[in-house]
Amino acid sequence: MKRFVLAFIAAFIFIFLWGWFYNGTLLKDVFAEAQSLFRPREEMMGLFHWIIIGQAGLALSFVMIYASGFAGGGIAAGVRLGIMLEILAVSARCAFYATQPFPAKLLVLISIGGFIEMIVTGVIVGAIYKSAAARTS
Amino acid sequence: MDWKKFFVAFVAAFGFIFVFGFLWYGKLMHGVHQEVPALWRPEAEFGNHFSWLIFGHIVMAFFLTLLCSKFVPAGGPGPCAHLGILVALVYVGNDFIMYAVQPITMKILCGWIVGDLIMFGVAGAIIGTIYKANSPLASQIPNS
Repeated sequence: MKRFVLAFIAAFIFIFLWGWFYNGTLLKDVFAEAQSLFRPREEMMGLFHWIIIGQAGLALSFVMIYASGFAGGGIAAGVRLGIMLEILAVSARCAFYATQPFPAKLLVLISIGGFIEMIVTGVIVGAIYKSAAARTS
Repeated sequence: MDWKKFFVAFVAAFGFIFVFGFLWYGKLMHGVHQEVPALWRPEAEFGNHFSWLIFGHIVMAFFLTLLCSKFVPAGGPGPCAHLGILVALVYVGNDFIMYAVQPITMKILCGWIVGDLIMFGVAGAIIGTIYKANSPLASQIPNS
């Protein structure tokens, strides 16, 4: 349980920092090209806690899936899980692209960032859980 | 891996996800979505991008089936529905983030969350019902 909590906290911190750096800083100008699809910055800041809740939920569900059936595989299994979950997220983005006038460039860049995010999250969760497995064996 | 069962499970999951998506997001939530019309493509433009919707659903069904077959190789509706709900929670996390950054309403957010949970839970159950490997190896934990 202790390792579960540690893995969750580590994953959440990484997802938060990566989201801020990649989506909030690196892609800032690309997001600005589709400004009409997003809330004004002040409004977004007022709803910032939803981003925190969403990222915490993302980290928690990642660790729950990993802990339920992938834990024996260590870092490699974490990376595999991350890739599979991100491909599922990309599939949802394809549906969003069909229904909302997002620029394709934005969704491609978000997906590239998503792959990096989920792979590194898999490494983090796998590394922390692997040591838990080693302790118990 | 039993590829024949995998394929049948994938096709069934795709069929369900597509039909459920059409009914839930396209029909039931149509009025709620129209509260923010600026967010959506016009009907004709949507038609031109419809292939992306199909492609997205195919990829979604394929990787959910793959995840179920790797994660729960013995199959069974219960464990696979459980995995489907966990996967839905990943989507729910993204829904919360979307709510913060896009001007969608609370009703849309709630509709998406409930839709995700039902869609992935039931799709997982369908996959688990179809994908039941007979091999004794099926009960082994993957990746270990």
